[in-house]
Amino acid sequence: MANGATTTTTTAAVATPSLLMRPVAWIPEARRRQLGIALLIIAAVIFPFYIDSNDADVDSMANAAAYATLALGLNIVVGFAGLLDLGYAAFFAIGAYTYGVLTAYQLQPPWNSFWEVFHTLGLAAPVPADIGDGMVVHFTLSFWLALPLAGGLAAFFGILFGFPTLRLRGDYLAIVTLGFGEIVPIVVRNWSDLTNGAAGLNGVAAPQLFGWSFGVNSVPYYYVAIIMVAFGIFFSIRLRDSRIGRAWMAIRDDEIAAGAMGVDRTKFKLLAFAIGAAFGGMTGVFYVAKLQTATPEMFGFPVSVMILVMVVFGGIGSVWGVVLGAFILQLLQSWWLQDLTQWTQAFGKLVGSNVLAHADFVQSIELIFGLILVFMMLFRRQGLIPAVRAQKALSFDQQHAEVRRGGFSDLKLQGLGGDVRTGAAALEIKGVTVRFGGLTALNKVDITVPTGSVVAVIGPNGSGKSTLFNAITGLVEAEEGSIRFHGEELIGLAPHEILQKGVARTFQNLRLFINMSVLDNALVSQHSRLKTGVFRAIFRPPSTRAEEKGAREWAMEVFAIFGNRLVPRVEQLVTGLSYANRRRIEIARALASRPRILLLDEPTAGMNPAETLELAEQIKSLNDLGLTVLLIEHKLDVVTRLADTVYVLDHGDVIAAGKPDEVRKDEEVLRAYLGRNAQAAAAGVT
Amino acid sequence: MTYTDLMVQQTINGLSLGAMYSLLALGFTLVYGILELINFSHFNVFMIGSFVAMWTLQLFGLSGQDVILTGLPLAGVLLVAFVVTMGFCGGLGVVIERVTLRPLRGLSGPAAMITSIGVSYILFNLVLLTVGADSKNFPNPLPTIRYNIGGAVLDVRVILIWIVAFLLMLGLYFFVQRSRMGKAMRATAQDAEAARMMGVEVDKVIMMAFFLGSALAGAGGLIFGLYYNFTSFIIGFTAGLRAFTAAVLGGIGNVPGAMVGGVLIGLIEAMGGQFIATEWTDVIIFSILVLVLVFKPSGLFGRVAPTKS
Repeated sequence: MANGATTTTTTAAVATPSLLMRPVAWIPEARRRQLGIALLIIAAVIFPFYIDSNDADVDSMANAAAYATLALGLNIVVGFAGLLDLGYAAFFAIGAYTYGVLTAYQLQPPWNSFWEVFHTLGLAAPVPADIGDGMVVHFTLSFWLALPLAGGLAAFFGILFGFPTLRLRGDYLAIVTLGFGEIVPIVVRNWSDLTNGAAGLNGVAAPQLFGWSFGVNSVPYYYVAIIMVAFGIFFSIRLRDSRIGRAWMAIRDDEIAAGAMGVDRTKFKLLAFAIGAAFGGMTGVFYVAKLQTATPEMFGFPVSVMILVMVVFGGIGSVWGVVLGAFILQLLQSWWLQDLTQWTQAFGKLVGSNVLAHADFVQSIELIFGLILVFMMLFRRQGLIPAVRAQKALSFDQQHAEVRRGGFSDLKLQGLGGDVRTGAAALEIKGVTVRFGGLTALNKVDITVPTGSVVAVIGPNGSGKSTLFNAITGLVEAEEGSIRFHGEELIGLAPHEILQKGVARTFQNLRLFINMSVLDNALVSQHSRLKTGVFRAIFRPPSTRAEEKGAREWAMEVFAIFGNRLVPRVEQLVTGLSYANRRRIEIARALASRPRILLLDEPTAGMNPAETLELAEQIKSLNDLGLTVLLIEHKLDVVTRLADTVYVLDHGDVIAAGKPDEVRKDEEVLRAYLGRNAQAAAAGVT
Repeated sequence: MTYTDLMVQQTINGLSLGAMYSLLALGFTLVYGILELINFSHFNVFMIGSFVAMWTLQLFGLSGQDVILTGLPLAGVLLVAFVVTMGFCGGLGVVIERVTLRPLRGLSGPAAMITSIGVSYILFNLVLLTVGADSKNFPNPLPTIRYNIGGAVLDVRVILIWIVAFLLMLGLYFFVQRSRMGKAMRATAQDAEAARMMGVEVDKVIMMAFFLGSALAGAGGLIFGLYYNFTSFIIGFTAGLRAFTAAVLGGIGNVPGAMVGGVLIGLIEAMGGQFIATEWTDVIIFSILVLVLVFKPSGLFGRVAPTKS
């Protein structure tokens, strides 16, 4: 199309298939994924039969599938939510020992009538005591019941560990989780009465299905493991692509922005921890049932590291990646290193080399883990299968955008603003004081933002403007004063609660969710307006699908404010966009949360004069729709054009307030911006 | 032994352990202060230092406690052992930094920490695969002279350990506080960007921090061997946990804090082992770690926890 025409339809650019994909390029893309999964399922189901049902090999695959489930669980914690957990094996241990203790012969309280209830429920049985007379209790918890039970117990411990510690940042959280990860096996080892200590539990019951016990045959365990990992993959993908997954990734990318966009960080961090722990607990039950024993050594720091290596190797945050990573590393241990050892030893004997004839590569698995960690971090941080998909290039027309003056009058944007200038105050800031140590950033500041108006705050650098926004949105706590929004007090509320009340902001230095797409950024800010929880995220009932569809449509409407700049780029990662576009996304993201007041912190920074005026007029159009605006700006032409009232801050004090023209001539303001000499000179000239 | 005797004995033990943990914690905290990196490989450098010291002493013909030296030969042998061990470990630390950590500098997130876990694993397993899992007899040329304090015993090597550790810590403290490079290090720890703008070669400062820290770890390894008369591939992990807790307890990034923390943890380990039970010592130490991080992340002396997330 010729220059100037802007369009809101997106023409998908045709991508030439890469070399790897050419053989299957004839299959339509939508079908490729389904076909691949179908083939995978078939291969998994018939595996025990075409491998000559060699029990050891089937057993190895079952182990690999179990570790893949663990890797999926850790992936939720580390990959989705960005919480580095170095003690994940603790949950594995909790699940394992729950099942182990409740089915082995370890706990044997004397039998009495109290246990009758459990007997009828099938959870306990009387058996003759080893020592002395009488009967003792033998717990007979069913494997199938233990799975959710242990998962729940592990989740409970996840919340217990997480509650005091999840507010710690990155490194510190990793160390604390490492601490917990070590405390659990040590407690297990020392609490011999409960766990039989270092000798380990024995006699752990095998699972039973309709009376038939699994025994020591690997094949039924293999199928259970495959089903477990399949569920794990399904749950992970569903969670990732839902409101929950977006909230996690927002927390991972920028916690502060996530809170400012309405995500309850504490709740979602605990949720990630709990779900990850549940995966670990359930896998623990399976593992111990298969091994029919449990020892503390199976759950130490090396195991936590191994699962982390699987996640890093496969791709942090990538569901299929971590499964692949787990399978490769587990089979490396079980199959390939043994084969390599045998071949090398045979070769060594052939060649007469003593060193080679006694080589043992199986021992070197931990060395390989270390090498993998270092290599992956240095050379391929995204892992085998990166979590982020490659993006298609835009066509020329999609890239081309022209400045559009005049705001937008064609968009309705229902549900945004809608407030009428009644004269009542939308935002009432009274006597707010903020101190950082000895520095008073804001000193008894009074600002009133009438409903439906545009109020600008200006002032030299360091005058406290951004601190004011931080105080309003709950990022810093005001020591004195009150901030009322439509009558409700905001001081003391958490940032996500303030967003829910209808106060949305942008950040001066941009706090976009850099590893998420443009569209996802605008979906995160709708987090508090959507209602899908974990259950609905996984099963996607029609209500959830309608909700998601509505959220996407609303986001596209908001993007349309900016012409064709953002609309063709909605699937792209925000890192690839120009600075001005990123500023626009920051605004669009705030608007998508359907606020009643929009706090803009230097929205036109970095834009050229034409783009600046374009944005100013777009803000004016928003205000005409009924959105109250509080604006920090340096460009005085924008302020004059937009603002009904201007407040001037200097060193934390409001030194002037009034209409833009009045403020421009105010002597105090001139002194603050330009200094005494300039002010005197100006006074002399005018 | 009377109760007082036990207390005195365990205080002596605790201070000896504490000397070792302080040296380890110091090296660790030096790196953290500048890079805000939890360097897991530090403690296996300590383990390697112990082996290097063992081999150096064996080169002198020393073996177990068969050969005893005194006076000048003793001083000479020990001096050489310290210099070689500290030099080697310092060099190893610099290599680790240059090869595995410098490419990742500036990356936010856990990339550098994960890499240091990988390096730690590599060092640990290389030693395990080459020398085996058994404990090695550490050559100890010190004469067994014992002093009695009431019912408690004070061995001459304990005095030596105290003196050496104290001198090293004193040396480090003066270096960091008085020398030009020390000032550069402190500046970089506060604000690397600003230091760069003031003409500080940040790359060299980081290299020096790794060199010094790893050299101290090596000295700690030699002291471990002299104290326990053995060394093995696993000592990095066990001593590492304690030294790590010591660094955190004192305030991670804080040099005097690491010294105080090391002594405290040494005393806790000795007393805990005596009056509670040795199996539970690990749990106690880990619990201290968790409690400090949860309730007072800045430790006893540290500044408020740094801004990196």
